[in-house]
Amino acid sequence: MIDVALASLIEDMIEKAGPDGVVEFWQRVGDNLASRMGKEAYLGWTSFNVAVRESRTAFSIEGEVTPLTDMAITDVDGDIVGYLYAMRQCCYVPTIFRTRFAVGRMSPADKIVTDEYNNNVHNIAVCNFCVFHERFREEIAKNITVSGNSLVCFLLATRGWSGEAKISSKNVAQVNINEDHMRALLRNYECVYALVMRGARIKGER
Amino acid sequence: MAAETRIPESNPFVEIATHLFLEDIATKVGVSGLNNYLVSLAKNLANAMPREEYATWDEFLEALREGHSILATFEEVRPVTEHCMSTPRSPFERGWREYAKRVGAFAPVHREVAAYYNHKVRPAAVTSVHVVLHTFRDAAAARVRVGREPVRYEPVASAWVDGEVQMPEESKLEGLLKRGGITRTKLGMLLRNHADVWLLESA
Repeated sequence: MIDVALASLIEDMIEKAGPDGVVEFWQRVGDNLASRMGKEAYLGWTSFNVAVRESRTAFSIEGEVTPLTDMAITDVDGDIVGYLYAMRQCCYVPTIFRTRFAVGRMSPADKIVTDEYNNNVHNIAVCNFCVFHERFREEIAKNITVSGNSLVCFLLATRGWSGEAKISSKNVAQVNINEDHMRALLRNYECVYALVMRGARIKGER
Repeated sequence: MAAETRIPESNPFVEIATHLFLEDIATKVGVSGLNNYLVSLAKNLANAMPREEYATWDEFLEALREGHSILATFEEVRPVTEHCMSTPRSPFERGWREYAKRVGAFAPVHREVAAYYNHKVRPAAVTSVHVVLHTFRDAAAARVRVGREPVRYEPVASAWVDGEVQMPEESKLEGLLKRGGITRTKLGMLLRNHADVWLLESA
């Protein structure tokens, strides 16, 4: 029930700190949670992807994550430096439905925080939880090494419970993925991100 | 599990994030401030939910059993007697287990705020989520009318996931058990495999 009550907490926070304050607050919570989850090291992408599939990585706290192993990201030398990962269901969707059944409608605070983030930070959020979520993943990626290289996370695309989709033009260009390809993935998944070795010179990076 | 078949399960990650959110608030407003936030959010949640009315107490008990009452929205409620209710599982158990598994031990502030609540409000909390739970039930019960009379909530005992039990001092407990129509032995039996034992009465 605390997930449903969260919306009223955010309403209260908006009154006290404003929507920008809530965004900062959520981001700090993302940093704090990531810092408490410790470091991980993997010999290579195969062992990391198996760990993701078996829910053994820090990313698994979010729920079931699918490594899209047919979608490797390569560097200028043709070496694999990353993959795409996707979640079939956004973490926050069950809470939205629970709110619908328990309260009747989602608090307007959700949209206020979402809009604040989209307008001023990164136009990728479909709910207020995305604000926390994106930062959390970025920080988690720094604490994971694959073949000795720490990772960087790019949130690429999201689809909200109402069907609204967001694609990050900036990030899809960064990992050289076509936006149409993203739209195709959003038919099956609600959240798509890339994990790439930090500092890699990605082939076709725009 | 009437309530669980009607309302989908949450993703425990959202609960973990909310716990971290609360921990961050506590660093700014302290334990008493966090207690105020928890009380406020639980009251707001209950007040956002629709009011209810029942013609008879039996009809109300049936709504609780079937998961139709707002008091049974987030947890399964099993009436033990006419006025004594039990909850088999804490609605916070999944989030707590996931937190313990993925993040580690709960931050001390969750116990500290429970101690503050026990001292200032009533001795019914083991951890911070009990502040939310008791306040929510209290506020939700006040939104229910049975035969035009409002309903009053009172906790008897709370057993947390780790087995720690919180209940009032003996002198007060006797009165609560009498009002609930159960014995001390029965309470012990309930706490062995239930999360909470509580009372609902006409105010």
